[in-house]
Amino acid sequence: MTDGHNTVTETDLHAFVDGFLDDGRRQEVELWLKDHPEEADEILQWQAQAAELRTAFSNYARPSENDGMLLNAASPARTSSILWRKSALIAASLMLFLSGAAAGVYGERLISKPVPIENTAALESLPGQSKTAFLVYASEKRHPVEVGADQEEHLVTWLGKRLDYKLVAPDLKGLGFSLVGGRLLPVNGKAGAMLMYQDTAGQRLTVLLGKNPENGETSFRFESAGALETFYWIDGAIGYAVTGEVSRAKLQEIAEECYRQFET
Amino acid sequence: MPRAPDQESRAKGERPPSAETFENQILSLVPSLRRYSRSLARSDSDGEDLLQDCVEKVLVRRDQWRGVNLRAWVFTIMTNLYRDRHRRVSQHPSVELNETLGLTAEDVSGDPLEKTRLQQALNALSPDHRSVLMLVVVEGYGYQDVANMLAIPIGTVMSRLSRARRQMAMQLAQNNIVSLRRPK
Repeated sequence: MTDGHNTVTETDLHAFVDGFLDDGRRQEVELWLKDHPEEADEILQWQAQAAELRTAFSNYARPSENDGMLLNAASPARTSSILWRKSALIAASLMLFLSGAAAGVYGERLISKPVPIENTAALESLPGQSKTAFLVYASEKRHPVEVGADQEEHLVTWLGKRLDYKLVAPDLKGLGFSLVGGRLLPVNGKAGAMLMYQDTAGQRLTVLLGKNPENGETSFRFESAGALETFYWIDGAIGYAVTGEVSRAKLQEIAEECYRQFET
Repeated sequence: MPRAPDQESRAKGERPPSAETFENQILSLVPSLRRYSRSLARSDSDGEDLLQDCVEKVLVRRDQWRGVNLRAWVFTIMTNLYRDRHRRVSQHPSVELNETLGLTAEDVSGDPLEKTRLQQALNALSPDHRSVLMLVVVEGYGYQDVANMLAIPIGTVMSRLSRARRQMAMQLAQNNIVSLRRPK
């Protein structure tokens, strides 16, 4: 990293990001970065990363009313919290075992996914649950759904009531998929819904809807497992996941169409 | 070997200041310790656990404090505890179940999946890289301070910091997000 008489070391770059340079040196590094776009890009990433980390953890730097008890090593709060955590751990192992048993047949890496015991973990398992639902029901010949598309109105009223949400079954005909029907199933440990679609070749895809414990809004995300693609997102009180054995580009179109048609 | 009473009282008077002062100082450090423990941990509960272990250890070891820079001394203890716990957890991976929970800070304004993504990138770092990154970026320690705290050469601090930053950047750049159009 030598430019004539002006040398900028890797340590300078870190110190630049961390604000440890004096004004003179900082300006020199700034000038140097103008001629080194690759390093300048990296510096931008490091700066964004640092800002993200500070934002993520700054909220924790707060006193709590129980801090005094921390100083009392054998405080009852500590003992009970350990007991609570132990039982949560046992519950988590059990849930993992059960979901593992359900998913095992398909040899997917579903077991390694975090187990839903707390809110954010539950959010994360949405694509996992969607994949499982797809694998279990999309291959079903005689009973893929509980209520068929011929009773669409009843289907959406019923599932909408269980989800406490004004459910519509998105119309995906424009994309070549028509509604097969839907069923009630547990998502994040609560009543959730699955809608199933298929194209003229019999290729199916599923749309999973579950109550979202935190009100939030996310970007679209995708996850691949073999040929299976899943798009998922959260919009307000509901988490959505669309799974199918179709190309990612196609599935994204479908997910965007669903997003457009779902009420928030 | 029992110590004579006069030795004991002298030792008390010289090194650790009065019990109340020491404990009050620890108490005033708790908020930043909580942030540091959470930044190392895999979940809120894991972070609180680490914090509690750390405060316990600090109280047990108060006689070993040499009377300078309490904050750095306590942060060193926290870092070592974290490394030990991490080693134990890797040897008994079933325990990890309890620790795969994402960031659940009270602030719900952020994108919850984004927090999970950050947490996953952090969890992929080794404890040595993660602690250096957090001490510098979140806690604001200088490179030489970190070297002193962890008893490692400053060159090692710099190489861990570089490695941590590059690994994080790579993890975070993995493009699994599609920006959402809002056609409604």
